[in-house]
Amino acid sequence: MGESDKPYQIELRDIVHRYEGRTVLTVEHLPIEKGKIYALVGPNGAGKTTLLHIMSLILRPDRGKIFFEGERIGQDESKRIRARRSMTVVLQNPYLFNSTVRANIEYGLKVRKVEKRERERLVGEALEQVGLSDLAKRRARQLSGGEAQLVALARGLVLKPSILFLDEIMANLDIKHVSQLEHVIKDINHDKTNTIVMTTHILHQAYGLADKVYSLFEGRIVPSGMYNLFRGEFRHDGRELLFDTGRIRIHVAQEIGGMDKGYISINPEDIIVSKKRLHSSARNTFPGKITKIIEQDGSVHLEVHAEETFRVQITKLSFHEMGLTIGIQVFLVFKASSVHVL
Amino acid sequence: MMDYLVEGLLKALELIFCLDNEIYGIVERSVRFALTATLFASLLGVPIGFLIASKSFRGKPAVITLLNTLMALPTVVVGLLGYAFFSRMAPLGFLELIFTPSAVILGEFFLSLPVITNLTVSAVQAVDARVYVTAQSLGAGRWMVAGTVLMEARFALLAAIIAGFGRAVSEVGSAMMLGGNIRYYTRTMTTAIALEVSKGEFGFGLALGFFLLLVAFSINILFHYFQVKGR
Repeated sequence: MGESDKPYQIELRDIVHRYEGRTVLTVEHLPIEKGKIYALVGPNGAGKTTLLHIMSLILRPDRGKIFFEGERIGQDESKRIRARRSMTVVLQNPYLFNSTVRANIEYGLKVRKVEKRERERLVGEALEQVGLSDLAKRRARQLSGGEAQLVALARGLVLKPSILFLDEIMANLDIKHVSQLEHVIKDINHDKTNTIVMTTHILHQAYGLADKVYSLFEGRIVPSGMYNLFRGEFRHDGRELLFDTGRIRIHVAQEIGGMDKGYISINPEDIIVSKKRLHSSARNTFPGKITKIIEQDGSVHLEVHAEETFRVQITKLSFHEMGLTIGIQVFLVFKASSVHVL
Repeated sequence: MMDYLVEGLLKALELIFCLDNEIYGIVERSVRFALTATLFASLLGVPIGFLIASKSFRGKPAVITLLNTLMALPTVVVGLLGYAFFSRMAPLGFLELIFTPSAVILGEFFLSLPVITNLTVSAVQAVDARVYVTAQSLGAGRWMVAGTVLMEARFALLAAIIAGFGRAVSEVGSAMMLGGNIRYYTRTMTTAIALEVSKGEFGFGLALGFFLLLVAFSINILFHYFQVKGR
């Protein structure tokens, strides 16, 4: 009783959380291993922050079990606080206390009753780590958005947490501060002793930094790399099965049993992009316009608006040969068997 | 008529600049009583205000409405209630509090308590909700979180305490009824002004009025200063 089978650093089991009578999060099993970087990705409202707050023990779920280093965290407040003290959370829009930068970073050390000289040394180290050594005496309220985010990160880092939770900390930051933060995150994890769990809606950032990416969609964890996730209704049209998103109808090959509503996904690598309409055996063809081009890990990701927004992954070579640019019309083609019913 | 005013003014200036013992004694006593009452009202009002603001419970809006009403509680009603409980023949008469400094302080305490509590509720409600999550995420327990919230609201809390002091130092009804306006013992600025003016000692009343105005003015400046700083 009260023990997890395998001692992950954090393990969630059968978590359900409701907000204003609506179920906003359902997680059957989520293990977090020590020393790895995890990214929780998904669109706004997918439940990333709720999940992060539950994992970091800030929020109590309505149902389910949370294990920290193999031990069940239940109602016992002292156990909860003890576990919470080995983790820190940096919020998307961090709150800095109305005092100096130094006092902000010192806060968690004071909570842990670290003596003054040691506090000063650790605060100095943390400021250096985020590159803000000269701002120690500055009033926190006078900082820019990027500086405030770095101070919030330093405030978490100074506690040398075994798990660091980062909630969309790079949203709304300029490129300079984003790359500075990415560098700091890699630096924290360089010896693989710290676990980092971050939420982001920027996928290339997630894949660039994390060892494991969990995708969230409407409060559920869905297979990783879920770009083309759609919600809708299944309809039978003669012998064919169609999935109606409300904007487009997608041919589906997979058996669905008695399901009438649900989710589907299409792997970005399974979509063919062409400049002209193709006559092929593939059942799905949609015209659309390229809205975004992202180069990532040796391949190119295209965002194509074809009533719904699709993500397509192609090689760099294909991208250059086809001469694709933002705004041009393309056709997306994929087989009915490439559609996964979730 | 003008002679009467000029004469009164000259007398007031004489009393102020000649450092009249009685005048300064009254001022010191008034401030001491009000400070003591404010201290106790703060010790009780700030925690109560924090709890009301930070907890959800049934009847919360009614409690806040009641506090708002009590802020405008007539001082003479507090005096009357105090008299009903503490006069010699009353249920708590054996405490022998009536016509003592303690009775004046008690009356002032009950007058400033709703002011401090109510303004603390507003101050805590105005604190950014992220403070709770931030403090918790940095390892703070319940008490530390509460302390942090109060620290973030410190300027508004100081303004609340100053407003409570203002209420205590300027009231006359309860100090008169519970203190009895006894010379060198329970006489405060407000009760002395009421008495001296009724005796025709306009200059004496005017001199005390000047000090009362000075205190009220200082309170307002401080109140404004902390309110602005808290934004």
